[in-house]
Amino acid sequence: MKRLLALIAALAVMTMVLTGCGEEKAAEKVLKIGTMSPLTGPYAADGNDIRQGAEIAIEVIKEQGGIEGFDDIQIFPQDTACDPKQAVAAANKLINDEVTGVVGAYCSSSTIPASETLAEENIIMLTPASTSPKVTERGLTNMFRTCGRDDHQAPAAVKFMKDVAGVKSIFIVDDKTTYSQGLAEGVAAAATAAGIEVKEHDHVNQGDKDYSAVLTKVKAANPDLFYISLQNSATGALMMIQAKRMGVDAILMGQDAVYHPKLVEIAKSAAEGAFCTFGAIDKDAEAFKTFVSKYKAKSGNEPGAYSAYAFDSAMAYLLAVKAAGTTDAAKVRAEILKLDFTGASKQVSYQENGDSGSNYTVYQVKDGKFVPYWNSLSGEKY
Amino acid sequence: MEFFIQQLINGITLGAVYALIALGYTMVYGIIQLINFAHGEFFAAGGYMGVILISYLAAQGLHPYACLGISLVLSMGYCALLAMAVEQLAYKPLRQASRLAALLSALGMSIFLQNGLMLTQGVYDKPYPTEITAGGFEWGLISVSYMQIFIVGLTAVLLVALNILVFKTRIGRAMRATSQDKVMAALVGINSNRVIATTFAIGAALAAAAGIMVGLYYGSVNYSMGFVPGIKAFAAAVLGGIGNITGALIGGLIIGMVEIFAAGYISGEYKDVFAFVILIGVLYFRPTGIMGENVDDTRV
Repeated sequence: MKRLLALIAALAVMTMVLTGCGEEKAAEKVLKIGTMSPLTGPYAADGNDIRQGAEIAIEVIKEQGGIEGFDDIQIFPQDTACDPKQAVAAANKLINDEVTGVVGAYCSSSTIPASETLAEENIIMLTPASTSPKVTERGLTNMFRTCGRDDHQAPAAVKFMKDVAGVKSIFIVDDKTTYSQGLAEGVAAAATAAGIEVKEHDHVNQGDKDYSAVLTKVKAANPDLFYISLQNSATGALMMIQAKRMGVDAILMGQDAVYHPKLVEIAKSAAEGAFCTFGAIDKDAEAFKTFVSKYKAKSGNEPGAYSAYAFDSAMAYLLAVKAAGTTDAAKVRAEILKLDFTGASKQVSYQENGDSGSNYTVYQVKDGKFVPYWNSLSGEKY
Repeated sequence: MEFFIQQLINGITLGAVYALIALGYTMVYGIIQLINFAHGEFFAAGGYMGVILISYLAAQGLHPYACLGISLVLSMGYCALLAMAVEQLAYKPLRQASRLAALLSALGMSIFLQNGLMLTQGVYDKPYPTEITAGGFEWGLISVSYMQIFIVGLTAVLLVALNILVFKTRIGRAMRATSQDKVMAALVGINSNRVIATTFAIGAALAAAAGIMVGLYYGSVNYSMGFVPGIKAFAAAVLGGIGNITGALIGGLIIGMVEIFAAGYISGEYKDVFAFVILIGVLYFRPTGIMGENVDDTRV
């Protein structure tokens, strides 16, 4: 009994101390934003691109004088490791940290379960990189997407294959993630519908380095185009290096996850001439140039493929909070839907379902750089 | 037929890499019955050290092959030292503790080393100068790259050297004696601590060689590259009979071949399934692996 009393007394003291701290901190009102992306594991590179992109947005807003009603803006980066279970755990951690908005995640297979956890607490989530159609098709009012959708990307890729490259047969390979397999299946269906023969649709495992077996198949099938739907650029680079070494002479084509400056850096000459679909980013636009210079100054690296989208996602949330003057989810959502601003990636405005439209462009690797080659919206070459 | 021969060549190359990594597992297990989960990390560290040295030496204007040779030797030496340090730090204090404690220590060391690589070398893949060994032979549909020949050749040379070391030298005899009976070996004057440290060093040096070859063959290294090949090589060591050097070679080749043929004739998504089905099948009929000796209860 005595012990129980002591325990209660101790708890009482602790509660007093804790609430005491709480009151002191309440004087300072902090806007808390979370990021979710794979900071460890095979997709850590893309995950860090996203985290840094969001950080720059906060920096820019702070330079502009911050947001009225908030003394500070803080960022809480969480690691999803591209694993659905860890993504949900990360979402719960962010809920405990009392964030009101989240930028992330990278892998669609992480974004989908995490957004459901965040929806229970009415936390806004803006994904800069998850392109699976399912992300915005679940009727969640807290979910927004700054990048494009795979059911737009796949037809754009196939249209390019048929109309521009004049391809008659393709070989497809994916690495079985929600995103990569979903997109590969979309391409297979669209290609068949367009009269392109799909010689084979094969799969590899995540974490594989040796693609010699599947590439021997590609060589034997001798397709006009080899479509590579892998979850990141490093594996895409390995696929291209080995394809060239095995003497595969099909046209190489990747998608938005393979599109990354690192692809060219690793694959070097093996990537030369390869095509990739990615959102049209105007690299000469003022907004993009300012973003790049800030990004380089902070991280010392070139921005990754999805850095600009992460920047715009965080920017959209911050601008909406600024306009709403509160972090109340319903009011912020209303403001996000009203947004129409020139971001680093594109002109950003969201539709009722949370999408912001796709503008897929085919890029070609030329002299070690991604050069815009063909615009899927206008159907014209650059 | 051409398709089959090409896949056979692919399988032998991959198997040779697994075999080199598997040797480290098998030697360490043979001598202290520890599954050294940090072994995959030596492989990754070797790969990184290799690319750093090759780039540095190439910048000094050395001939590419000289760069490669020097880097290979230095990286192997570096990983040998790293492994000895890991052994001193994480395994030696636990030698009298339960096996589980050492196993957990190994897992911890693996996580520590992998994250250490991530923090010091960054999360991005590091490209290898693949042009050093570009090129190869072609006969119709079949192509053999110089790199594949180099991998198989180097594996063969290292294996022969290892066999000579273990069966023909004093330290080799001491290693065999220690693996049979640590206490008896110590009684006849063998410094078992030194023998164990040497075993770790040799295993890690072989893993480092594998790391460089993988980097050159596939084109890049990554901080997490040790994990998957580590698991596969461990499976290869168990399949061949853990503790047995020839077994590691056979196990590595089998796992490599099964993977390639499953990916080539069925589908890439099933290759790991087949590799492990073979493993389970062999262990069901021969619990000690293909070359494994009978379990001897009289061992200390």
